[in-house]
Amino acid sequence: MNSIILSYITFVYFASFMLYLLMMVMGKEFFGRLATFVTLVGLLGQSLAIVLRWVESYDLGIGHAPLSNLYESLIFFAWTIVFFYLLVEWRTKNRSLGAFATPIAFLAMAYASYSPTISSQIQPLVPALKSNWLIAHVLTCFFGYAAFGLAFGLSLMYLLKRREKPEGSNVFIRIIPESSILDDMNYQMVVIGFLMLTLGIITGSVWAHSAWGSYWSWDPKETWSLITWLVYAALLHSRMVRGWKGNKLALLSIIGFSCVLFTYFGVNYLAGLHSYAKS
Amino acid sequence: MTPSETGKKSNVLWNLFTSVKLTLGLLIALAITAILGTVIPQQEGAMELAERLSPGLVSLLSSLQLFDMYHSIWFRLIIGTLALNLIICSLDRFPAALKRFQATPKLDRSKPFDDLPSHRNFSAAGKIDEVLTLTVGILKAKYKRIHQKESEEGIVLYAEKGRLSHLGVYLVHLSVLIILIGSIVGSLFGFEAYVNIPEGESINKVRLRKSQVDRSLPFDVRCDRFLVEFYDNGAPKEYRSDLAFTADGKDALQGPLRVNHPITFEGITFYQASYGSMPGNRAQISIRREGDPANATLEVEIERPYDLPGRGGQFMIFEARADFMKMGPAVQMAVRPPEGEEVRFWVFKNNDLIKERFPGFFERFPKFNPGAYKPYLFSLESIEARYYTGLQVSRDPGVLLVWTGFFLIMIGLFMTFFTSHRSVWIQIAKTKRGLDVRVAGRANKNPVGIERELDRIASKIKRKVKKETPV
Repeated sequence: MNSIILSYITFVYFASFMLYLLMMVMGKEFFGRLATFVTLVGLLGQSLAIVLRWVESYDLGIGHAPLSNLYESLIFFAWTIVFFYLLVEWRTKNRSLGAFATPIAFLAMAYASYSPTISSQIQPLVPALKSNWLIAHVLTCFFGYAAFGLAFGLSLMYLLKRREKPEGSNVFIRIIPESSILDDMNYQMVVIGFLMLTLGIITGSVWAHSAWGSYWSWDPKETWSLITWLVYAALLHSRMVRGWKGNKLALLSIIGFSCVLFTYFGVNYLAGLHSYAKS
Repeated sequence: MTPSETGKKSNVLWNLFTSVKLTLGLLIALAITAILGTVIPQQEGAMELAERLSPGLVSLLSSLQLFDMYHSIWFRLIIGTLALNLIICSLDRFPAALKRFQATPKLDRSKPFDDLPSHRNFSAAGKIDEVLTLTVGILKAKYKRIHQKESEEGIVLYAEKGRLSHLGVYLVHLSVLIILIGSIVGSLFGFEAYVNIPEGESINKVRLRKSQVDRSLPFDVRCDRFLVEFYDNGAPKEYRSDLAFTADGKDALQGPLRVNHPITFEGITFYQASYGSMPGNRAQISIRREGDPANATLEVEIERPYDLPGRGGQFMIFEARADFMKMGPAVQMAVRPPEGEEVRFWVFKNNDLIKERFPGFFERFPKFNPGAYKPYLFSLESIEARYYTGLQVSRDPGVLLVWTGFFLIMIGLFMTFFTSHRSVWIQIAKTKRGLDVRVAGRANKNPVGIERELDRIASKIKRKVKKETPV
């Protein structure tokens, strides 16, 4: 039941992506407002489906938070990115980031719902996952991933905005906020993501200590999360101490997000302890 | 070498280590080497790769410690350099930060009040004392320390908060060092080991992971029972070992060990890590005497002699293997005739299969012939299986330091990114037409935030003055 709703939500996010794009291309406010509405409906529907999935797992007698495998994590990733985006839209009163955030959510949902290798069934928890740390660890990691995802979107917008010509460009580029604002928002998103990633690594480490007997085992996922952390640490230092801004920062943010994606997906092709996150 | 030259040299070194360029370089270098480590198989995984490469290449790679990168000298060297860089950078900048942290407010400055936007520079009616008290009231809601200076022209108020924000980044750096020290303490004074305990047996030695050397424990660990439960879909539900820790011949601690629920005894922690099955103490053997129509099936204990049916002597199983020579379960048998030499041979379970695959195998090798002791023909029906539990055993005295570092780094990051040292100056000056109020301020971070805050304070004062001092 919940997975059917979730597969429909995929199309809702696709629709909001299209609407945000229309807004950017046509320059009409109406599409923007409609896009916000559709996205909000999608988020509410998705929240409901997640709660439903949670309840269903208890009905099956294997109750656990829906954060235990690749399907559930993709769904949650899409949820956090939409949630964060709407928060940013509400705070900044600008919708252009929507055209960059909703496609990420759409892709995550589509991958979860329509990939033949990903099962949407509710599976019971294997012994290693039966821990209170599960929720804390997955929540913090994915909040971090979502913030980095938005920072990635803002970086793309920055690079586009830089191509704006003084004699005037097309509507799409004109609607994007000033590059200095983008730069600042990018930095703020990275800060939030960095804090969450740090907390995610810490909770994971404390959990690993009680589950595997060692708080750090150089497992590929651990190592890649550290790599990601190092890249963003480099970004923050370059900004805070060296005062790097603009292109360099946007580029580092893009590199950082590719590390996030590798930590999330790429690592599955390397052998390691985090095998339950593969399917 | 003249003193000035040495001074210059240490300066060069100092400058190198205070440079954030070095930090960036080291962070990236660390990231790249870590990437290499996830691509090149490490430790056990490297064995497999080594078999496929030429010996020369393997020895080159292993002399570069590429198969155990995270413990290699050069990887540690990068981390060490980064730590040094972090210490020296922090030492270099800390005094200035401390100065900003301890700075006494200067109240007789006019600079902050120049070039203010109109909504933060307004005139007010009423008495100066009234305006002063309500302004102080507004400030007190958010600022703890408020200083005041009166002069001929009027009053200057100075309020501030968030001084600690200057020190947040140093707390983060300190935490990183604490975590690193914790990991060093752990690797110097702790150990990581593993042990398999068959059900019903005790151990007092564990095998160290790094050196593969045994380490004895100051107590015994007994596994009374191992239990594995499965869900309906076949996925494992729970692994549980019932352990007993014995010191001086007495059970000092008993308890179930489950995944995610380790047990610590005398400072050493045990974790449920794996399990497996091994041949147990009993086997089922069927024996046929040539000419007899029926088999006799016996349930026998290992290492205990039994009489052969028909007084043909005694037999004993003294070894059982779950998989012998990749031909399945087998037991080694010793048969002692009433007179003469003892005969030893293996008895397999999959006799028919072996005959089919390797015709003539039993006839050619009497050691593997179940009919080696005539006129009897043995066959193995089953070997009782017994579980063993696989435990991870470790002691890490550095872990408390690591946890402390984790806790402090979060506080430090919060201070660094979400607090700022905000200073607010408010000048209430007497003019001919009444009072002139100016609200100014600055922050070390988040410039947008302080602007918003100043606007808020200014409009609050304006509103209150209007309400409480009607013209």
